[in-house]
Amino acid sequence: MAAAGSPSVFLLAVNGQIESGQFPGFDDLYCKFCFVYGQDWVPTAGLEEGISQITSKSEVAPTTLVWNFPIDITFKSTNPSGWPQIVISVYGPDFFGNDVVRGYGAVHVPFTPGRHTRTIAMFVPESTSRLQKFTSWFTGRRPEFTDPRVVAQGEGREVTRVRSQGFVTISFNVVTKDMKKLGYDVSPSDMQNPSLGL
Amino acid sequence: MGTPKMASATLTFPTWRRAVRSTGGSMAELHVIGQIVGGSGFPRRRLFCKWGLHAGGAWKLLSGSGSGQTQVDDPQADDVAYWCHPLDVHFATKGLQGWPKLHLQVWHQDELGRGEVLGYGFCHVPATPGCHALTCVTWRPRGTWRERLSQRFVGGGPQLRNPDAAGAAADRFRLRTEAAGIVHLQLGVVLRHFGRYGVEC
Repeated sequence: MAAAGSPSVFLLAVNGQIESGQFPGFDDLYCKFCFVYGQDWVPTAGLEEGISQITSKSEVAPTTLVWNFPIDITFKSTNPSGWPQIVISVYGPDFFGNDVVRGYGAVHVPFTPGRHTRTIAMFVPESTSRLQKFTSWFTGRRPEFTDPRVVAQGEGREVTRVRSQGFVTISFNVVTKDMKKLGYDVSPSDMQNPSLGL
Repeated sequence: MGTPKMASATLTFPTWRRAVRSTGGSMAELHVIGQIVGGSGFPRRRLFCKWGLHAGGAWKLLSGSGSGQTQVDDPQADDVAYWCHPLDVHFATKGLQGWPKLHLQVWHQDELGRGEVLGYGFCHVPATPGCHALTCVTWRPRGTWRERLSQRFVGGGPQLRNPDAAGAAADRFRLRTEAAGIVHLQLGVVLRHFGRYGVEC
């Protein structure tokens, strides 16, 4: 953490947890997370991917699945474009015990320093043809994304049909370094003393 | 308005980017990072949204796509269609006129894959840096009573021939409209070098 005169990169340190999920009608679920970011971004410390434990509902929380799964990662970048997104996918066993996807979702890491809680909607892709619907019903396999990272991309989304069926709550603690020195204003109070940042 | 500028900005993107980088960022920059979260209050399920960012002539789109279309969601949990559609756009500007705005069209896709427009709306990108949870109200053109009757039974309905006019003030007085649902957005705004030019946001 050297106090350089004119920095060219800024740092984004994120920690937090995947707190819980709400999936009416489903139980015994686990979740995976990964980060998706632009080409100017480099992770410098921490884990980019993770898989949680399998959790179940309980008598004290009959609707909530608690994961309490930690996230801790630091990025550096020169440009806010391609700001990291966390992609969550949730899986659980179906009637025959096979792992089936129960939801995909994504959200940008907040960029104002501080504590933030995000509740994101989780959705699964649907077959677009009746034949596929029939074969997936017959074989007990439902459509999945081969790479969950597609949910963090805006292009090519118009061809997907989805069904939203749950929520995941994530809490973030965000710390940034040198964003103001690079001239970036991320919160309204930064603008009151613009000369300080230069 | 600023619509055709978007294409030309994309074409000249490397030059502009170099210009911004080489001068140490002499132009003011705006990042819009966030999500089109979903839509609620529409009379149908299975909704999707077409969106486009429109800005004035002084603005250049440096990176990110300026328009797109979301997935089609058939919600199971509640009556909100979730699109979870990421936005990550980088503008550079030489002037404040024509601050970017987001045009939204909400469509319904029926069982046979036919589309029907349910709402038009626009909202400005907030000028204050930070995270903003926005709701955008939408409306749609109202037909004659005959059209409304047939709409009730067959579906469909009047739509705008030029959807870009939905965000303009000039031609609105010709229209007869009715209320439609709400689009929920989560937009983060990062500004750079606005303070250097004395711009207060």
